[in-house]
Amino acid sequence: MREPTYFVLVSLLDGPLHGYAIIQRAEHLSGGRVRLATGTLYTALDRLTAEGYVELVSEEIVNGRARRSYGLTPLGAGALRAEAARMAAAASLVTGRGQSPETVRSARKVRPA
Amino acid sequence: MSALERRCRWLLRAYPAWYRRDRGGEMLGTLLEASPPGARWPSFRDARALVIGGARVRGWTWLISMLWVALGAGGAIYATVTFSHVGYGQGAIWMVQWPGEPPVIIDVAVIALPVWMLLSVPVLVAGFVRFRAWRPRYWLRVAGWAASWVSGLVLMNQTADWAAAGEGSPRGFLSVRELAICAAWLALGGAMTWILSGPPARAESSVSDGNLAAG
Repeated sequence: MREPTYFVLVSLLDGPLHGYAIIQRAEHLSGGRVRLATGTLYTALDRLTAEGYVELVSEEIVNGRARRSYGLTPLGAGALRAEAARMAAAASLVTGRGQSPETVRSARKVRPA
Repeated sequence: MSALERRCRWLLRAYPAWYRRDRGGEMLGTLLEASPPGARWPSFRDARALVIGGARVRGWTWLISMLWVALGAGGAIYATVTFSHVGYGQGAIWMVQWPGEPPVIIDVAVIALPVWMLLSVPVLVAGFVRFRAWRPRYWLRVAGWAASWVSGLVLMNQTADWAAAGEGSPRGFLSVRELAICAAWLALGGAMTWILSGPPARAESSVSDGNLAAG
């Protein structure tokens, strides 16, 4: 899972958001590192919707234009948790130095779904 | 309508019409919200992402078709430059050359012609594969696709004919005929883009189900 995709999913953890709110939230949560362009965001939303990770939750009209809110599906939440566990395991290979070999071995066993 | 909105709308034309109908308003709203106050132009990052995103939605059938068109138009420009070049005197069919022509241009021409010829078949097949699941009422688009392909072959053949006719006759002025062929290629590219502007079968079924277009 690429970093922008990861932060799009993370931004939806606390509830459904519309496009611009996802951009803002992803930038905030990543410490300014992930600044999604609008085209990139909707390409990711198309893909994540097709994969069943994200779903359309609501739609309203603002200034004569559609504003849709997207939410995380259970499948998407599971994939996000698996990715987080994978990254934590990978990080522990560096941050866990000095820990017991068993701890590192158990961290290595975590694989993405 | 502000200058920013007008320019964003223009950029959104990178996406096919069926996608804009579903997503255009929503994306425009997000683009305007994401732009800093007082901005008159969308950012370079946004513009680049829209062009890339539009190409992705249009799909690889459109991309190889446009490569085919670009090579055809490039061939016409090459013939124009060759005919317009003072001292033109050598030529073989349409791989025309002039004395002192930079090797890099010759190399590009030598590669471009077989690539164009090899692309002809996948371009034709890809179009029909794309239309395969379309409803019968789209037969006009299928016929249009075949006609576009034949037109491309005719244009390329015409370029070769005129290049051969001009072989060995130094001209040193702008060749209008080849420019007309180049313009015809560009028009053909527009027609092929329009023919491919309908959604692929998978996305079309998603739209008809009331879901988001998957692209």
